[in-house]
Amino acid sequence: MILVPVTYKGGIYRHDEIVDLIEDVGGYIIQKHFVAQEVVLQALVPRDDIELIRAIGKPLMGDILPASLVGTEIAVVTMSLEIHHLPHASCDVAEYIRRNGAKTNMVGLARGFGKRIAQLNDEERDVINEHDLALFMLGNFETCIEKKLPVLRRGIEVPIVVCGGPSKEALQKIIDPPVSGYVGNVGRFMHRTKESDEIEKLEEIVAEITRVLDIRREEIAKDPLSVSPARLMDIITEQVPDIEGVTSPTPITVQIAGLRIKLPYDVYAGLVRECKIENGITIGAVADIRPSRMRDYILITIKPFSDTNIVV
Amino acid sequence: MGALDYFEVECPEPLGGEYYQRIVSTVLLDHDLVRVVAKIHVFIDPSVPIFVATGTTRKLPGLVTVRDFSDLNIEDHKVTISIANEAYLAPLLKILWDKFGQARVDQPDRLTIIMPIERNESENLPDMVVSDPGEALYKDLIYALQTIAPEGFKVRRQYYGNGKFYYVASENTLDEDITPLLSEKFRLMGESL
Repeated sequence: MILVPVTYKGGIYRHDEIVDLIEDVGGYIIQKHFVAQEVVLQALVPRDDIELIRAIGKPLMGDILPASLVGTEIAVVTMSLEIHHLPHASCDVAEYIRRNGAKTNMVGLARGFGKRIAQLNDEERDVINEHDLALFMLGNFETCIEKKLPVLRRGIEVPIVVCGGPSKEALQKIIDPPVSGYVGNVGRFMHRTKESDEIEKLEEIVAEITRVLDIRREEIAKDPLSVSPARLMDIITEQVPDIEGVTSPTPITVQIAGLRIKLPYDVYAGLVRECKIENGITIGAVADIRPSRMRDYILITIKPFSDTNIVV
Repeated sequence: MGALDYFEVECPEPLGGEYYQRIVSTVLLDHDLVRVVAKIHVFIDPSVPIFVATGTTRKLPGLVTVRDFSDLNIEDHKVTISIANEAYLAPLLKILWDKFGQARVDQPDRLTIIMPIERNESENLPDMVVSDPGEALYKDLIYALQTIAPEGFKVRRQYYGNGKFYYVASENTLDEDITPLLSEKFRLMGESL
């Protein structure tokens, strides 16, 4: 069964029927938002059942759209949290990626600005490495990007997509060794992105991120995970009832090959480790459970089949 | 940015210069400085690195005195001030409290101030300066230029006076004498420092 990332948007009235339907056909709901009278579901659903969900959702004013980034957690790395970079361009980009289903976290570097003085500390490096992808929002000048990027990418192990003012070709030329993705002509700007050419640029960023993550998914497909992250989310929600008390918009964040659980590690790690998936197999047997550097959260990395010889 | 008499961004990287042209115009518009700034020349060289903004302002309104925004009724032992523009109420009250003491400044309603003071004390009251628009402009202008300049350029020197301003910033130490650089940029605008 191939699960496809989608977004369902529709009225709140009878939306629970859609939720039940997605679960009945074997899909998973990753996020559920209520926006005024509308509900937005980010979900993974079987490819063959998309038309069925669309047909049932139609009378409820609902529509189902492909959302390539559902089930991913992306770090939007901005050089600082000053007015120079926020809310434009960093928030505009982060918000647009979110619309496509990703969970974005903005990582504002403490000393990211400047050409000579830019640096990355160990906490920032570790937090970025907990994501599926890091999107670096750089400035307008080739000279600065060429000089500072080697410092900022030191120790980053996740795929990097670079956004910068110079053209894509110029970025490819000055960045050595190459990074996973490039989007040119998106540097520092101080106005809201609302013109059509600016929206097209945001689309280009989403397309580039999708391309890079698809490569990652293909790599994972060659050595599949022992359990699907979305399934693990369902199991934890069922067996750790305290997760219901977490007020964060996504108490459990689904990543491509893991989960971030927003519960204190010291108290809940043992409980999560002992959760049963099926046939006596516990989460601890198929995944690494470690403390996240983001607050006191729990980070789960699912092991591949080659490590565990188990697929559940 | 048609409202400006002169607007130029000079940069060795043409594309970077274009982006900064947009940043300058956005920031000046956002901070409502387009009607105040007459000419501006921005020079950025990231390889040095240095950021220089030079420019001139239009003629500013003069100092604001009590007479400009209120009616005064000066009697032998009492002064009544009726304020027409509330924007200056707070700075006026602060000055009066400092000068006469809070106990002698009575405010029966929001826009009326009554003070039991002698005529010799109240004679200069109408010409007392309450606000200097140039001072507020200096702060706004420097804040806007700080926002325009690349963030890492923390070492800076700035000036505003006689309708001219400059802002020089870098992430390295600045030369002791930056006058030749500034004079050159002012000359490009047809001005002198």
